[in-house]
Amino acid sequence: MPNPATLKVLVVDDQFSVRQMTRLALEKIGVRLIHEAENGQEALFKALAQPLDLIISDFNMPEMDGIGLLRAVRGHQAIRKVPFILITGRGDRELVVKAAQAGVNNYVVKPFDEATLRQKMEAVLGRLQ
Amino acid sequence: MSAIDDLRQTFFEESAEGLEAIDSGLAELNESAASDDTVNAVFRAIHSIKGGAGVFGFSGLVDFAHVFETVLDQIRHGKLSPSQQAVEVLQKANDTLSDLVAMARAGEATPANFDADSRAALSQLIGGEGGGKEGIAEDFADIDFQPVRAEDTASEPLLFRYTVAYRATQSQFDGKFEQVVRALRATGRVDLRVETSAVPALDEFDAAKAYIECAGTIECESQLDDLRGVITAIDSSGCWSIAAADAASLPDIAAASPALVPAMEGAVPADAAALAAAVKATPPSNEQREAAGGKHSATTIRVDLEKIDRVVNMVGELVISQTMLGQLLQNMHGGGTDTRLSQVLDDVFLHTRELKNSVMSMRAQPVRSVFQRMSRLVRELSVKTGKRARLEMVGEATEVDKTVIERLSDPLTHIIRNSMDHGIEAPERRREVGKPEEGTIKLLADQRSSRIVIEISDDGAGIDPDRVIKKARDNGLIPQEGHLSEDEVNSLIFLPGFSTASGISEISGRGVGMDVVRRNVQELGGRISLKSALGKGMTIQLALPLTLAVMDGMIVKAATETYVMPISSIVECIRPSASEFHALLGTRGALRLRGAIVPTVYLAELFNLSPSSGLTDESTVIIIETSEGVRLGIVVDQLCGHQQVVIKSIEENYGAVPGIAGATILGDGHVAFILDAERLGGFAKNSDFTGASAGVLQPAVVN
Repeated sequence: MPNPATLKVLVVDDQFSVRQMTRLALEKIGVRLIHEAENGQEALFKALAQPLDLIISDFNMPEMDGIGLLRAVRGHQAIRKVPFILITGRGDRELVVKAAQAGVNNYVVKPFDEATLRQKMEAVLGRLQ
Repeated sequence: MSAIDDLRQTFFEESAEGLEAIDSGLAELNESAASDDTVNAVFRAIHSIKGGAGVFGFSGLVDFAHVFETVLDQIRHGKLSPSQQAVEVLQKANDTLSDLVAMARAGEATPANFDADSRAALSQLIGGEGGGKEGIAEDFADIDFQPVRAEDTASEPLLFRYTVAYRATQSQFDGKFEQVVRALRATGRVDLRVETSAVPALDEFDAAKAYIECAGTIECESQLDDLRGVITAIDSSGCWSIAAADAASLPDIAAASPALVPAMEGAVPADAAALAAAVKATPPSNEQREAAGGKHSATTIRVDLEKIDRVVNMVGELVISQTMLGQLLQNMHGGGTDTRLSQVLDDVFLHTRELKNSVMSMRAQPVRSVFQRMSRLVRELSVKTGKRARLEMVGEATEVDKTVIERLSDPLTHIIRNSMDHGIEAPERRREVGKPEEGTIKLLADQRSSRIVIEISDDGAGIDPDRVIKKARDNGLIPQEGHLSEDEVNSLIFLPGFSTASGISEISGRGVGMDVVRRNVQELGGRISLKSALGKGMTIQLALPLTLAVMDGMIVKAATETYVMPISSIVECIRPSASEFHALLGTRGALRLRGAIVPTVYLAELFNLSPSSGLTDESTVIIIETSEGVRLGIVVDQLCGHQQVVIKSIEENYGAVPGIAGATILGDGHVAFILDAERLGGFAKNSDFTGASAGVLQPAVVN
């Protein structure tokens, strides 16, 4: 049963406001170790630099998008097992299908509150303490 | 304000940037100069607005952005070609989107069916798809997701082999090499060998050059593109190359551990070994790692404007204190004999100047944001007036102080309304006179010395001088008789109560005349001028100051008063000999300067301080040049030196004084007026000028 306070989570979104809203939701869930990245490349770099328990990433970003990041993460021996949750917009069905094929573990649809996020995290990580 | 309110505010700021990106992207599409990158950027911008709007609960915005985005997605995938007609629909959609964002920002309810037209037009582009809300699914429960840790039970992974090479270029000692190697080693087994044959003998060795090359292989599960992504994410300089290995030509991968540099073969010159060791180096500490990682993180941060303004104010105060310090030092040592102290003070001056420039550049923004608002205006006015026009923008990356940008919008809007309403002719008329049916309005921004010049020109009908004169006479603005020069006719336009439009039209006739525009520009410390060619079009030029807070000034004395002349207006300072200077009547004189005659005035007389006493030994003539290129010599009694001064507004505290741009506090604590070179330059042109008849110059004396 993972303890949210010890989880290391990387939040990836190019929009500062959305990144912060995700951070707020995570903090309400009890996550303390939150890292942020603005795009896929930065996220990949940060993911390689430290062990992560979860990546929560937006799809739509410059440089390297969410799917690109997902593929890069899954292609990497060192980090390919890091659970990955994709943030999508309403109606992005095609994208979720593509992400599922690329090995995403779950998705969360904007807008989401901490209850939804918690539920998705539990689906991926198991029941949180 | 709660954290969420703050973030909501941030979202609106991001949206404003996004809307601009969409606007410029669509403009590129319109000129068919757009690449896939442009379409992608537009798509991303819309998608980001949609995403953010979702997070903050603006569902109307999400719905509309979704339809908009669907169309862009189709273009992105080549299913829809961006015809001119399609781009027009998209531009209108962007207008609607900005309105929706503005309403959400203001907290207003969106009127029913507000976006219906635009939405229908968008849907039509893609054959009715995605037009309704029912198209937006909320749940994708039917899609199977990868269970976590599925790989644990997966079969033996497939290994790929790649060859990798590194060729250091000049000054590649930034530690990225190690980072790349470490990142590659995280993917699988890496075998790299250092090639040292290029290292020259010691006497030819140049420490600033890079001689080391590496080559080797990687064995891992990753795809080639992923590995490339890893490398360029860290080092994009192109030092690294990677390719799929041709198995036959591959040397056996050493069975040894994937050490960074496993072997140093042969006789390696000692210095090269040292160099190689340096490359190998100690692994960077966590801090270094963080710092290197920082390069890839955000390069911009958002700062509250108030905070920057506080810094600007503090820099202003610093400049004053520092000037006082300099003055004190001079008094203490009777001319600053302590060279060490004055050297240090010089350094402080230098640093303050740099501090000032850095702070000012923080406040500076490209004029693009205002210019792009104008493109929407032209579009809307084209529809309203039935005239066709397009907006051309030049130099929109020119950076101007934020305050100037904010206050530029109104004058520009007014001038462009005028151009569309009175300047650009109807298509039929344009055809008759042999012009292209589509008129052109050109916006230009350019930095010329310490001023920003903004030009609005059109290829319309221009100003009819006869009509202007008749109108002015009818309104009693000028006497019935007498001849007016072209400049004088043009300046009539800026008089209060002047309007040549025969009837008040919906577009520009809102009771706001060019006099208000001129006042707006003058409030910014700027000048406005106008050139017109009947039948060919007209150009309005705004010359604005770069910053509004601190400037370089020349301290001068006239009679008992001290004034500051902006350095940016000064061309040169000379002490003319008696033979070069010709006194004329009243306050005026003429100076022969390298063959040209420059009109001159006595500053002391200009401000009614003292009658002219002719040139003395100390007298200096300051030659100034206005943004229009008019030159004028100003005779002052003494030059006291060059100083940075903080501009304090007189207008805000007292009222506008012609010839005076503002006031400042000098090092000795006294207040001095800052001269308005543009206005003084105007006197040189005014043939009728004397202190009295100009009626504008009051004695400007400070107690």
